[in-house]
Amino acid sequence: MKADTPVAGIAGGLVRYSREFSVAFALLAVLGGLAVLAPSFYQPQPLLSLVTREAPTLVIACGMALVIIGRQIDISVGSQFAVCAVCAGVLASMGWPTPVVLLASIGCGVLMGSINGLLVAGLGLPSIVVTLATMVTWREGLRWLRQGEFVNLPDGLQWFGLGQVAGQWSLVATSLVILVVIALAMRRMAAGRFIYAVGADAEAARLAGLRPHWVTFATFALLGGLAGLAAMLNLVQSPQVDPKMGTGLELKAIAAVVVGGVAISGGRGNLWGVFAGLLLLATVSPALTHLRIEAYWEKAIQGTIILLAVIADGLRTRKTGA
Amino acid sequence: MPPHLLELRNITKSYLDVKALRGVDFDLRAGEVHALLGENGAGKSTLIKVITGAHAPDDGTIVIAGETVSGLSPDAARRLGVACIYQQPALFPALTVAENIALRLEPASGFRKVDWPARRERAAGLLTRIGADISPETEVCRLSMPEQQLVEIACALGAGARIVIMDEPTASLTQKEQHLLFAVVSDLRDSGVGVIYISHRLDEIFSLADRVTVLRDGESVGTNPVDEINESALIQMMVGREVAQIYPPSESEPGEVVLSLREVGCAASGVKGVSFDVRAGEVFGLAGLVGAGRTELARILFGLTPADAGEIRLRDAVVTVHSPRDAVARGIAYVPEDRRRHGVVLEMPIAQNMTMAVHRILFPGSWLRFGAERRLTLDYIRDLAVKAWGPEAPAGSLSGGNQQKVSLARWLATKPSVLIMDEPTQGVDVGAKSEIHRIVRGLAKKGLAVILISSDLPEVLGMSDRIGVMRGGRLTAVLPGKSSASTVMAAALGQAEKGAA
Amino acid sequence: MSSPAPAPLPKTRRVPWSHEAVLFLLLGMEWFYFNSVGARFGSIDNTFDILRHSVEIGLLALALTPIILSGGIDLSVGSLLGLCAIVFGKLWRDAGVPIPVAAGCTVLLGALAGGLNATLITWLRLPPLIVTLGTYSLFRGIAEAVTHGVDTFTNFPSSFLFLGQERWMGMPAQAPIFILVAVAMWLFVHRTTYGRSFRVIGYAPEGAAYAGIPVTRRLALAYVLAGAIVGLASIIYTARLGQARADAGTGYELLAITAVVLGGTSIFGGIGSIHGTLLGVAAIAVLNNGLVHARQPREVAGLLTGALLLIALSMNTVTAKLSLWRQRRKARASPAPQPPSSSP
Repeated sequence: MKADTPVAGIAGGLVRYSREFSVAFALLAVLGGLAVLAPSFYQPQPLLSLVTREAPTLVIACGMALVIIGRQIDISVGSQFAVCAVCAGVLASMGWPTPVVLLASIGCGVLMGSINGLLVAGLGLPSIVVTLATMVTWREGLRWLRQGEFVNLPDGLQWFGLGQVAGQWSLVATSLVILVVIALAMRRMAAGRFIYAVGADAEAARLAGLRPHWVTFATFALLGGLAGLAAMLNLVQSPQVDPKMGTGLELKAIAAVVVGGVAISGGRGNLWGVFAGLLLLATVSPALTHLRIEAYWEKAIQGTIILLAVIADGLRTRKTGA
Repeated sequence: MPPHLLELRNITKSYLDVKALRGVDFDLRAGEVHALLGENGAGKSTLIKVITGAHAPDDGTIVIAGETVSGLSPDAARRLGVACIYQQPALFPALTVAENIALRLEPASGFRKVDWPARRERAAGLLTRIGADISPETEVCRLSMPEQQLVEIACALGAGARIVIMDEPTASLTQKEQHLLFAVVSDLRDSGVGVIYISHRLDEIFSLADRVTVLRDGESVGTNPVDEINESALIQMMVGREVAQIYPPSESEPGEVVLSLREVGCAASGVKGVSFDVRAGEVFGLAGLVGAGRTELARILFGLTPADAGEIRLRDAVVTVHSPRDAVARGIAYVPEDRRRHGVVLEMPIAQNMTMAVHRILFPGSWLRFGAERRLTLDYIRDLAVKAWGPEAPAGSLSGGNQQKVSLARWLATKPSVLIMDEPTQGVDVGAKSEIHRIVRGLAKKGLAVILISSDLPEVLGMSDRIGVMRGGRLTAVLPGKSSASTVMAAALGQAEKGAA
Repeated sequence: MSSPAPAPLPKTRRVPWSHEAVLFLLLGMEWFYFNSVGARFGSIDNTFDILRHSVEIGLLALALTPIILSGGIDLSVGSLLGLCAIVFGKLWRDAGVPIPVAAGCTVLLGALAGGLNATLITWLRLPPLIVTLGTYSLFRGIAEAVTHGVDTFTNFPSSFLFLGQERWMGMPAQAPIFILVAVAMWLFVHRTTYGRSFRVIGYAPEGAAYAGIPVTRRLALAYVLAGAIVGLASIIYTARLGQARADAGTGYELLAITAVVLGGTSIFGGIGSIHGTLLGVAAIAVLNNGLVHARQPREVAGLLTGALLLIALSMNTVTAKLSLWRQRRKARASPAPQPPSSSP
């Protein structure tokens, strides 16, 4: 099959990004359905709150997308997120200035991400088991150190001292900037393309002169850093830090990435799809409430969406692979 | 006379106990197409690996562009302008053509902007130069195999390659695509590039190449300009004069027809309309070049890729073989080609390997019976003279020939009536090779119908009672066992009177 | 000529045994240490307590061993335990089904859920990791939906609670069931052709097909069996705690996988044993219990479990890498002077 140049522009794009378009279409359908059935969903303030709540998840999903495009997985982000948040919270309550706290939180995340990266890229251990172990280790270590104690945050930290609405907008803006920057970097920076190459075929990438180990390490470290940033974005939304926070966050992020069309076998997908996937999953629970379906179904529906996404990918590769 | 781009002098290379190259001389001039010809296993791929720096030669000199190089690495070879286009291109399937080309050509530093228009432009330029009608925006996984090869050539061109190696580039091309490729090769030649062209198609060599070198048994038999040599002379050079090895004589009288195929085909694996009979006590050789469809046919008979056309008869009963399990139950056994991946499980003991296909027979009710397993294993270790320190030795600790015997024992344990052996002596040392030959003869004598797939022409000639020759997924000829090597080779190359069944 | 290399010992057999020996030693050390620290640790009562508390994790680990042995993984076992517990409670309390029948239905449900995993993994050839991640969410989600997240099933008859809380012939009442399942699994994995097949598939999935092993059916069996065992575990769990809640078994999948990998089963498949898994479960259970007796917070046990898993994983790889590195250094040192001098 040869794509001739004039048609390739639009039709080729539609074919190539069909997975992303189908997610976007599903999202539009849900939003459209809500507009008809539950117009109360579209009130500015609750909508802004909803988007703000998802901002940290978006940041983490961006990092997770890179890791999965590079054919790995990290299920320890939830624990990393909690460790960073507690770390930042303690520093903030000690009176450190906010920018320094932010840097410390990110640094803490990079450190934990690097440990994962070192074990996976350096020792060649399977990422699923490595991050399973670090997930347990960080979480239990945190619980040991803090004994479940909440951290009270200084007043100035909430909404970065901007007031609620401005603070919410700034959080949403920050997460969108992260999304756009990473999405563009994945498209327009050589390093971003290397992740695709390594995820598609690490051996071929090595033959082409790349260093797959470094690429893998970098994606884990970057995800750690983003977990640190996400922790800060979450921290400023409440007056306290719950050391149990971030439980199940890894699943939310992985679900968004997989639903957004990133192939779990690596090398395929983009950040715009992940964005659509996250929004689709995020609208499930408010949509349930607005449609007066019990919200307890949320997790089951999310699980179903993940399975449907993987089945779609499976049928797709089955067709092209044969 | 144009300068030499590449000179190889007295190159030798052995793998463990097999000598792959014994003092090969070879040279390539700028602006020529130099064809390399030889049977499978004659040493062509080893020679390529030496030139691309993938394997270091044991001895000999490599001179590239007038400079003697030592310790050539793949990277260094690439820098010196060596590029190789393999049959199976090593591209990133999910990425676009433009990106695939760029990943090969751009520097490996990550912190730079990707200039997509420039990438596309360069890709488009290179693709136009080789006359390929491929959009740089297409994902590689949507390209056909030949189109992927063209992308590889574009990569080589873009890297400024002076020495381009093409390994059977036309094996999977249609007529039209072939002509396109020939034009590309001619263009390369005209621009001063030296092309090493490996092909089994003699007509291609005569229409395209300037000189041709024939390899046989790891030695160069001679280099000739193509206009000073004809087809039959080339075939003579490839097969040699005499069959050096002594093969055990055929002692059995072929009995009734055990297996008979009528127009058997499978669209997915490209096998079409194959018909032949195999009798009890007969060794039926299957000759042909790599990719002729012999292994694919074996996979059909063994149920790995079930047939979708024609009928398979076993002792006059039409059977369907949907899975290896069916095949085993019907008495069809297959000793696969890739011994290390499919033939044995390297990590597991000999005993477990040998009983793997007879779980249902040896262990009724699924309970393992270690005594029975051990007895069976010891029997086969003795009968086939497997050299190992015991039934518990992992298969991976054995030599290639002994691994092959373990793989064979696994299938003999199923008490088959049809035994298909795919390249049973590949990568096996001389001693084990003749042992395996004796075993095969012995099995035929006991009344087994043996189908012997081999790319080793003397082996097929020496072992077979009848020889089927395959080409392009079809059985093109069935020849008597005492045919000459050149007749078989001519049929395999598609030169002789076709379909002389 | 080829000689049959007599020197190298059969590595496939030696490694798991030595691994299990090391684990046994570790377990002994744990026991000895905690016995000297905690006053009551070594008593029969406490030993039975450890046993009682490790039955569910133990069952899950037993269920996972064939799956991991065949090169797969199942992350959904913890969630499935929750779902099964809820359905069991629902059947008994709301549908009025007698307990034995309800228990049978629960085990069947587990097998069905395992069948869902198996279908997606073998029929659609999807990676087990992501499939079971999806069902992890799905099973827990259904459990939460059924109970509205709050409904708890309690007030089970004491004849049922006996199973989880009382003694039978001196030992915890659930112990005989566990021992029965462990022995059955040991026989299944080590003494039947099924166990043999799992190993072959783990080592060489393609090679297994070439040997006529029905790969799809065997893999499906592993997942279905795991589901059934999880169903059984959910009943014991309910009996021990006297209640069934939607969050039952949260995080159990991690503990079970840890126990299996700690027990010497390779995450890449092929290598592993049931007795190794049992030792892994014991090592974790003793650590948990012992630290309580040593007046250490519970979290330390979790921390040490995670670290232990990492160490167990790294050990094999690091030694392999070291020997490879040494080989390479040797190879680099020796042939360097050869090529230039040898030209004629």
